Amino acid sequence: MASVSLKGVTKAWGSVKGVDDQSLEIADREFLVLLGPSGCGKTTTMRMIAGLEEPTSGDILIGERRVNDDLPKDRDIAMVFQNYGLYPHMSVRDNIAYPLKVRGTPVADIGPRVDAAAKQVELTALLERKPKALSGGQRQRVALARAIVRTPKVFLMDEPLSNLDAKLRVSMRAELKNLSHRLQITTVYVTHDQIEAMTLADRVAVMSDGRIVQLGSPEQIYNDPETLFVASFIGSPAMNLVAGRIDDGVFSTTEGPLLTLPDTAPVREHGQVVLGVRPEDVSVVAPGEGDIDATVFAVENTGDSVLTTIRLGAETLVARSDRYLKTDIDERIGLRCSPDHLYLFDGPSGKRLR
Amino acid sequence: MITGRTRRRLLETCQVIAILAFIAIMLVPILWIALAAFKEHVDVYQLKLVFEPTLENFSRVFAEPYDLGTKLFNSTIVAAVTVVIAIPIATAAAYAFSRFRLRGQTLLLVIILATQFVPAVVIVLPFFLMFRDLGLLDTLTGLVIVNLAIVMPFAVWMIKGFIDGIPIDTEEAALVDGSSRLQVIRNIVLPMAAPGLVTAGIFCFIIAWNEFLFALILTSKKAVTLPIGLALFKAEEGDLWNLMAAAGIIIMVPMFILALLIRRHFVQGMTMGAVR
Repeated sequence: MASVSLKGVTKAWGSVKGVDDQSLEIADREFLVLLGPSGCGKTTTMRMIAGLEEPTSGDILIGERRVNDDLPKDRDIAMVFQNYGLYPHMSVRDNIAYPLKVRGTPVADIGPRVDAAAKQVELTALLERKPKALSGGQRQRVALARAIVRTPKVFLMDEPLSNLDAKLRVSMRAELKNLSHRLQITTVYVTHDQIEAMTLADRVAVMSDGRIVQLGSPEQIYNDPETLFVASFIGSPAMNLVAGRIDDGVFSTTEGPLLTLPDTAPVREHGQVVLGVRPEDVSVVAPGEGDIDATVFAVENTGDSVLTTIRLGAETLVARSDRYLKTDIDERIGLRCSPDHLYLFDGPSGKRLR
Repeated sequence: MITGRTRRRLLETCQVIAILAFIAIMLVPILWIALAAFKEHVDVYQLKLVFEPTLENFSRVFAEPYDLGTKLFNSTIVAAVTVVIAIPIATAAAYAFSRFRLRGQTLLLVIILATQFVPAVVIVLPFFLMFRDLGLLDTLTGLVIVNLAIVMPFAVWMIKGFIDGIPIDTEEAALVDGSSRLQVIRNIVLPMAAPGLVTAGIFCFIIAWNEFLFALILTSKKAVTLPIGLALFKAEEGDLWNLMAAAGIIIMVPMFILALLIRRHFVQGMTMGAVR
């Protein structure tokens, strides 16, 4: 068990910076998720921790030890790869046993430990098969078993669920959560899937353009986004974002005044601003009773809820209501935005206005 | 009217005929050689399929003055030693080319291949002069060196293709699992590339086994190989086709057995690296 620290770590290829002067403290036993769109530097950050990429500058520490110059094998880590990285010429048993064998574990110990790891991920019946004869989910389990067969200081997981189909992903996610709870090993997990990040993480680091733009608990990231990027990246359906201006506490778009901000709003006057409100904080009411009156553009029933979309000039607004709501396309409705859950962002910088 | 089914049948028939014709074109000369090897000299030019077979040709080619046994031995040693040296070195080079970013890598790879563009006839004389000074003329060592120069570029390129086909994830997983780079190569890369290495090995063996020009110029007595041995049968009494055929069979048979033994690897190797 160990903490992981990045101190001013940069990875550059020529003039292209994959990771830009990044510092990060990951506590012992913490489950940290690096979340961001592709190309944001999350995988590069993880690969530098693993020792598969060399940082251009900065220090990486595992525990108290600076590991910049250590080979991957000397860092005492285990990693699960997106494509599993299984050894196709070895049986499942030999795949799981490999980290033990290559590190010189006594032969008598290897068998029981492989069996124990296989049991934890329910692979016992498949030990003699080759990876080729396994399904995607089973291969994923082999990769997991290979990671947990030793007790490394740190687990690194690089989009481990992204190659699985949707249903399997959900069940594997729960298994991962359970496994990490039982094992209590520091874990760094890379994903572009915000649901995975929200459900698994103790803390989420949202990355964009090689930098962490916000670091906090899933609740903080979701309820208190610091930038427009974080606000728009987290949440499904995404947060409603409407560009406009604020004059004397009234938010207007190019179409005209839209709604009066509550007294708690951080600004009364602001030039370019983006107003954000999550779909679940918008309720559908009778015309004239809400903040905005509009015509229904689309109605989508997702089973557990109903998404009502309206058009406001060029912008669209989505309201998430309970599944019993009945509205029709072209019907006039009112929308009420929860005054406590309005987010205001500065237009040019994307920074949250507080 | 030709229905769809008749058309398909017609097409299939044409295919079968074309394949049979192709096989015939490939096999008839070999069949002719195989028959000639068991015929008396006088019968060689007659296209008789029924004749009294004789093994005399085989015993004659192994006897003086032809002494095919020595040449068979020379060929085997040269081809085998070439492969044994070439494949490990080529594998190491191919691995480096495949996995590490080296300065001038593309240029180096092209240069390696470019050595193959020079016609052998052009460089055989410098080789002769060099080998004369080094005392390597008419030695097996000399022939191995020449064959290495011929097969290496080929082997490096071919094996690089196979190693390129191994997912990098697999190697990185092994590195993280606790392997050194050498252990990764031994435990992961070599087993996974094995069919490719076997394929490359066979190609190299065949090239070295059949190499003619350098062996012709650089050997005279002791280190003569089988293909050169064949030329001995153009004697004063005319072309001794029956003896040449017997020697031809002796050259072909080891290749044939080799191909049979490793054809599973061969197909695997041919389909692994290249198409991906």
